[in-house]
Formats: sequence, structure tokens, C-alpha cells
Amino acid sequence: MSPRAASRLETLGFKRVIDYVPGKQAWYEENEPREGKAVDEIWIGDVADAEVPTCGLTERIGAVRARVHAADSETCVVVSSERVVLGLLRKSELDGDPQATAEAVMRPGPKTFRPSVTLQELLKSMRDNNIQTNSLVTTLEGRLVGVISRADAEATLAHEQSGEGSP
Amino acid sequence: MGSLSTFRLMPSQIFSATEVKRLLEEGAQLVDVLGQDEFEHDHMPGAINIPLKQLDERTAGQLDRTRPVLVYCNDFG
Repeated sequence: MSPRAASRLETLGFKRVIDYVPGKQAWYEENEPREGKAVDEIWIGDVADAEVPTCGLTERIGAVRARVHAADSETCVVVSSERVVLGLLRKSELDGDPQATAEAVMRPGPKTFRPSVTLQELLKSMRDNNIQTNSLVTTLEGRLVGVISRADAEATLAHEQSGEGSP
Repeated sequence: MGSLSTFRLMPSQIFSATEVKRLLEEGAQLVDVLGQDEFEHDHMPGAINIPLKQLDERTAGQLDRTRPVLVYCNDFG
């Protein structure tokens, strides 16, 4: 649709017309802001915890574990230098051999969700699949936005539905 | 030999949010060409709505012809 609109604008005499080909969904999936009625919805990019511990592939589990415990967390996301998600370390990996690298023991290719998924949609998926742990939120290009725990998702939605959420 | 723009037959295309932000900083106008209901539900910040089916000389009159115009819809459609 936008290519046709761009061409039409040129026929109407506009000299510099640019088509943003991926469109608004891609914009939202980069965790960029929105306007309209949808600002009243809770999208998971709005509430994901960006302070989740991260580590690189070559880091030793012993060092990572100390950092994760200091952050009062039980998981660590393994990321590239561009913060693209490569894997996940849960408690069982973090409690393992301290000399092992993250790459050697991580769970590769964890399931991720896009920032424009609503909190209700995420919770439904978590409930349907009996997911009790953190869910990862990533951009269209796979960069880590943050994590949402099942407990936080339930609490946030309950708070919102009770009418106590922000306007 | 002329520049690429000399021979451009189609509108320019961009593919990244970074390029969108750069163009907006440079003064581009953002136009959402989807229907009004969809626009009212959600749209990119600062966009104005000119649905494709209503795009003509009159509706385009609200745009500044001296500034770039950046159009979008919801996907590759």
C-alpha cells in the first residue's frame, strides 16, 4: 500500500517521497513508541525489565554466577556485542562448572516475544504452555529489550484490571 | 555521468527505524496511508492520516511540498 501511496504523491508533484517499506509493525517491533488508542494497552516492550543480567559467550560461569546473584536474579541472557540474544543460562547452568564458558552450557535459541505483543497475549501463551519462568523480549533484529517473569506479568495485569494502573 | 537520483524512476525506500528517525529530525512529514480506524488505534508518533483511497490533490494539500514526505503502511503490502 505505501509504495502506491508514494508513487501517487510523486504524480501529485511531491519531489522527495520516501517509502518506509517495513511499515509500522516493524517500527513497533523495534520497541519504538506509538500513538493512538493503543497507548492504553500494555505492550510487553513497555514493561520488560531491561536490567536483566547478560553475559558474552566466552565468559566463565563462575564470574557470571556472581553477577547474577548480585542482581538478585536466577537467569542470565547470553548476548552478542550488539545485544542480540544467543542463549540463556538458568539456575541449573549457573550452578554448574564455574570454569565452563557460557557458550558451552547455555540453552541456545530461547523462545522470544516481540515488544508489541500485549501483556494479555503473553500471559495467555505463558498459561497455555505452563511457563513459570522469565520470557525474553527482543526486537525484530533479535536484540534484547528485557525480560518479564510470569509473576510480574500476572501482577501487572491484575493491577491494571483492578483500575489502579496508570491512565 | 549523472547521479543515481537523476535516473530514479521510483520513490526512495528505507528499511530501518534509524533511517526513519534521521529523516524526521531533518523535517520529513510522516504519513500513515492506512484506514482511519486503524490509524486511530495506533500509529507512529507525529504521523498524519491520509488513507490511500483518499489520497488526491485535495488531501495532499495539507502536506508541505517543500519538505520530504515519508509514507508507511503496516507491512510490505
